[in-house]
Parts: sequence; structure tokens; C-alpha cells
Amino acid sequence: MKKLSTSLLLAAAAFLTSAAQAHTPLFDCFDNGDATLTCEGGFSDGASAAGVGVRMLDGQGKVLEQGKLDAKGAISFKRPKGEFSVVFDAGAEHTLTVLGDDIT
Amino acid sequence: MKMKFAPLLLGAVLATASMQAAAHFLLVYTPQTALLRGGADMPFNLIFTHAFNGGPSMEMAKPQKFYFAKQATPDEKSEITDLSSYLEPIQWQAQNGTVSAWRANIPRNVMRSAGDYQIVVEPEPFHEESEDIYIQQFSKVMVNIGGIPGNWDEALGLPGEIVALNKPYANWTGGVFRGVVLGDGKPVPFTQVEVEYLNHDLDLTNNRFAEASHIEAPHPALGAMVIKTDANGQFAFSLAKAGWWGFAALDIGPVKTFKERPLSQDGVLWVQATDLPK
Repeated sequence: MKKLSTSLLLAAAAFLTSAAQAHTPLFDCFDNGDATLTCEGGFSDGASAAGVGVRMLDGQGKVLEQGKLDAKGAISFKRPKGEFSVVFDAGAEHTLTVLGDDIT
Repeated sequence: MKMKFAPLLLGAVLATASMQAAAHFLLVYTPQTALLRGGADMPFNLIFTHAFNGGPSMEMAKPQKFYFAKQATPDEKSEITDLSSYLEPIQWQAQNGTVSAWRANIPRNVMRSAGDYQIVVEPEPFHEESEDIYIQQFSKVMVNIGGIPGNWDEALGLPGEIVALNKPYANWTGGVFRGVVLGDGKPVPFTQVEVEYLNHDLDLTNNRFAEASHIEAPHPALGAMVIKTDANGQFAFSLAKAGWWGFAALDIGPVKTFKERPLSQDGVLWVQATDLPK
């Protein structure tokens, strides 16, 4: 019985945590016009995305570059040639991908 | 003779009444405030007018300041970016000829980063000849790019200011907009707030308001509306129609005279309502 209530409590705690993180991730990139692009990430509740990992992948899914968003929630890359995408990875439910063709 | 005279008089009274009922609004107009991306130059028009009636419009001197406030990081106070170098004078069609107004195209590289932008106009005091007073409306509009929120609820320390309690760019038609009126940074209880719908579309090709109106008010009180703040300086107003709603809190700033005449330092905020998609 004691075991049950502990697991219940854990389940409730897990639920509360996920409820507290019910914000939506937001991520987009733009071309700076100088062969570089800047990507910006954040959350719908205004929480900072500083430190969130960002990966640039080529058309085959190979990592070209990676880094973390700075205090402004931004990161800049050189624009690669050919097909590519940029992935914002803030955990399982919080992954977003922007395709290179959409970065203007 | 008597019969003819009476309708004329009534007409004159109605004309006077509607003139008095219309409130001054410094319009800070941009077509869309909730943007997915900052893809192109961002156009703004600054026109000192009467919003519901689409005029009369008044002469507007070059603003003392025109800028946006935006946070660099989520937890910091906003930084100011001066936009005054982008101001260009235009001649806006008014009832009798034209009046001076302003246009600004903010380049993409200045206004494309995600987040909230509070765009602010601090105008020169305007001499209202009919009342021999000066009016200075500190006017704000907010733009969001990409959905990442920022400083939409931040007070910028204007002499007269309406601070939003709902995002001004994120309102469904019929939703309730809330704000708080600050004079010299402090809430102003039980003060009047004028509310007007931008009832005539802007014809930006010909620099005039369209003739056609969206609403025919059956009574003056439904055109130039007046509400009051509560004991905490807050107000709420339901946005009954998609488009632009102007809120103006009058004579709330600390400076009360200009050139030895009464000065009304007002706070104006523009709010955009969006229809639910069908």
C-alpha cells in the first residue's frame, strides 16, 4: 500500500512537471544576406531557450555543424551549399526542424 | 419658414454633437501585427486623426521620438532602437486639402528578429485651436514576429502610457482586451479612456481614408466610446469586430502646461482583433 502511494505520488509529480512545461517551442531561421544564417528559438511562455542544442544536417542527415543557443536564444551558421536542415532539440516533445529551402 | 428652419437647426446640432463626440487619436498603423516572419520591410503610418470618423485629420509635426523597444534576452529590460531616420513626411488627404503625416519603412535587417516590438511615437504637442490647448499623445503599437513573446507587458516609463494586460497582437474578435493606465508611471484610478474603432480603411496609395465605413453608429456614444478605469487603473473592453481598436487615456501625464496653455499628455495604445478562421 505504501509502495502504491509512492508510485502514485511520483506519477503525480511527473504529471505536474510536464504540465509546467506545457509551453510550445518556437524556432525559425533567417538568411543574413552575407552567406550566413541566424536561427532563433524560444518558448511560447517567454521562457529562455538559452543553452538548447541546435544541429545543422545535410540532406543525408549527417551533422554539418552543431552548437547551443546563446543568451539571446540565437545561433549563427555559415550557409552550406546544397540541401540542409536545422534542428532545434530541447528534448523529446520539443524538437523542431527548419528546412534550408525555407530559410530566406 | 419655421418648418424649414427647424430641420436645419437640428442638423447643425447633430453636426456639432458628432464633432465633439469624436476623439483625437494618434494613429500608428501597420497592416499586420502578428507576423510569422519578418520577411520584408515593415511599413508604418503615423496620422493624427479621429479614428472612428476617418477624420478630420490634423497637422502632425515631426515626432520628438520614434523608436521600438525590444528585449535582447528574455529576462532583461528592453533596449531602444531609434527609428526616426526612417521617417518620411507625407501629405494625408483631409477634409480641406491635405495635412502633414508620416510614413516609415523599417528595413528587414532592423526588424526581423523574433519576439515583441513595442513601437512608440512621442509627438510634439499639438495646438488644438478650437479649445486653445495642447495635446501630446504618447502612442504605442506592438508587433510580434514568430510567436516568441517578450516585452508586450512592459511599462516604458512614458509620461502617459497604457500598459497591456493582454497581448495587443493576439486577440480573437469578441475577446476581452485589458490594460492599465499609467500616469508618470503610476496607475490612474477612475480615469476616462476613449475607445474608437478604426472605421475607415487606409488607402496607402492615395494617402487618405477610404470613404466607406465598416460601422454606422446608431448613436454618438457607440462611435466615440468612453469607458473608465477601476480603482487600480485597469480597464477591460470586448473587441466586437476584427480590425483596429484605439484606446486613449487623456490628460494623465505630469506636465500640465505648454507655452503657457493647458497641455493634455495622453497615453494611446492600438490593439488588433483577428477573426477566428472559418
